Amino acid sequence: MSKRLYDLIGKVMNVPVSQINDNSGPESIESWTSFNGYVLLYELEHEFNVKFTMEEAIDVKTISDIKRHLQNHGVVFND
Amino acid sequence: MPMEPKLSHYINAASTLDTSNLEKKIRIGILGSFTLNGLEEILQVKCAEKKISASIFVSGYNQYNQDILNDKSNLYDFSPDITFLILDTRSILGNFFYTVYSLSVDQRKELIEKKSEEIINLLQIFTKKSKSKLVVTNLSIPTYSPYGICETKAEFGLVEMVINLNSKLVNYAKDNPSVYVYDFNGFVTRFGESNIFDFRQFFFGDIKINLEFLPTFAEDLMGYVKAMMGINKKCIVLDLDNTLWGGIVGEDGFNGIKLGPTAPGNAYVEFQRSILALNQRGIILAINSKNNEDEALEVLRNHPHMILREENFASIRINWNDKVSNMKEIAEELNIGLDSMAFFDDDPVNREYMTLNLPEVLTVNLPSDPALYASTLYYISDFNVLKITDEDIKRKDMYLQEKKRKDFEKDATNLEDFIKQLDVKLKIKKADQFTIPRISQLTLKTNQFNLTTKRYQEEEIRQFSQDGNMLVGCAQVEDKFGDNGITGVFIVKKENTKEWMIDTFLLSCRVMGREIEKGILSHIINKASENKIERLKAQFVPTKKNKPVENFLPDCGFHKEGDYWVYPINSSFKVPDYLGISVE
Repeated sequence: MSKRLYDLIGKVMNVPVSQINDNSGPESIESWTSFNGYVLLYELEHEFNVKFTMEEAIDVKTISDIKRHLQNHGVVFND
Repeated sequence: MPMEPKLSHYINAASTLDTSNLEKKIRIGILGSFTLNGLEEILQVKCAEKKISASIFVSGYNQYNQDILNDKSNLYDFSPDITFLILDTRSILGNFFYTVYSLSVDQRKELIEKKSEEIINLLQIFTKKSKSKLVVTNLSIPTYSPYGICETKAEFGLVEMVINLNSKLVNYAKDNPSVYVYDFNGFVTRFGESNIFDFRQFFFGDIKINLEFLPTFAEDLMGYVKAMMGINKKCIVLDLDNTLWGGIVGEDGFNGIKLGPTAPGNAYVEFQRSILALNQRGIILAINSKNNEDEALEVLRNHPHMILREENFASIRINWNDKVSNMKEIAEELNIGLDSMAFFDDDPVNREYMTLNLPEVLTVNLPSDPALYASTLYYISDFNVLKITDEDIKRKDMYLQEKKRKDFEKDATNLEDFIKQLDVKLKIKKADQFTIPRISQLTLKTNQFNLTTKRYQEEEIRQFSQDGNMLVGCAQVEDKFGDNGITGVFIVKKENTKEWMIDTFLLSCRVMGREIEKGILSHIINKASENKIERLKAQFVPTKKNKPVENFLPDCGFHKEGDYWVYPINSSFKVPDYLGISVE
């Protein structure tokens, strides 16, 4: 499941997946602007069929935050 | 709704887009009252898909007033060809969007008067300062009202206020040829306010068109771009079995095909009705079907529930030949480019074959469920034109006349006799308010018999027509089979007291091969002679498509001098005597 998440983030932020890890976020990925952050949120919602609350969306600082919120919505990361 | 790729697809594709080899270019301005990030990238990619290189200016967030009012703004510096002004109800009404009933009825009326004046003032200023076409959105009509079920009882209530403002915009645009109103409210209605307006995106970043729908919105805007670039589709080519009716007539028989008032036959009736409506508006129809001709024609002629009949089709190919060859024959018969055609076929294999062999044809990805055929047609933005002229409306009759003309030609012994018997009458007309839209339309879309292929918008033609140093006119062609409408255009620059230069000389493919061009040229030569002009200059600018006009100038007695072709006015020009020419 992490791969699916990383692939999507790589696609939206236009960066190689090899440059992404759980600590990545707007601080480390230059293309992670606030607008691309919104694009990512709505594409995540489509990909994983979830709806984030506004609090969750605002709270995203790194990919591990995204994972945590996805898990709260029932997405399972086994890896 | 056909699946649009996600926004990230466009953003990424735009970052690696190479448009350097694209000949067609357009400059697009985007002004808005809310966040429109992403729209630039989508339009760039969509334009590139249509072989257009787009330069795009995006005004700063909510800076549209300043950009329009300031003479020296970056917007005017950029000099767009087309500008989209995208407004929303919340921004325009401000706090009154929420508290409109704190105002009296008179105050509400004043508010709408004031707001519509403000917007129309901006439109007026923009059109004075820029040659760009301007597309302004109307406002989305709110579905929530604090008055609840009494909203529709309120005198000049919130809903009525927005409708009133919208109609003021529409009325303004009707009198201003360079201004168009995009029905944003219609867009919201089509997909639903709760889908288009996502509160979270609004709170995060003042995004008022859900990012998921931004590509769809951009596709609507592309309707204007494609029409402006003259790359709209003029002809719909249809398969028959499982496209115009359900089932296979060769197997299921005349009585077995699904077509009629109940499901699933009514889905095909709906599709046919929608196509007929486009036909009545000027889109030509043709058939490209693998079938036994007799069986298929029997359905076209006699099936009680067929909406489209044989006479609706300007060209029919019902045979067992290859569909690509049929398509080429149809294009040749109708004398239009393959890139002006859209192809509808239920069979994905046929579609793939067409796409591979004739990528210039728009092969529509018809869904497997016929219930979705009509809505697929509604989504296609390629049939748009900037103005629906009388010629568009008459076109379907003109192609039928052309069929009769062709049959007549088959019987004529030689070309000269044929043309003589056609009794061709040529009316030379001035550029005026009635003819200017058609003159512009012809310069935008005529590719074959066109000496210089210069494209001119209505405003440019209007300016030329008011310029004493220009001669702008057009030709209406009639013959015994009917009126072809305005089908020829000339624009001449009076360079000095001795020389005139032909800037544009074109003929619609519909009337090619009848020596009409010589009639038009003789008019220009006569005018030049009346003005004591010594030489008429012209240029042939070759393109991939204008081979039919390649030899026109030397054939008419022009000789080459450097880059130009020159005709000495004192030499005698022979006009075919069977052409009846009159000048208005």
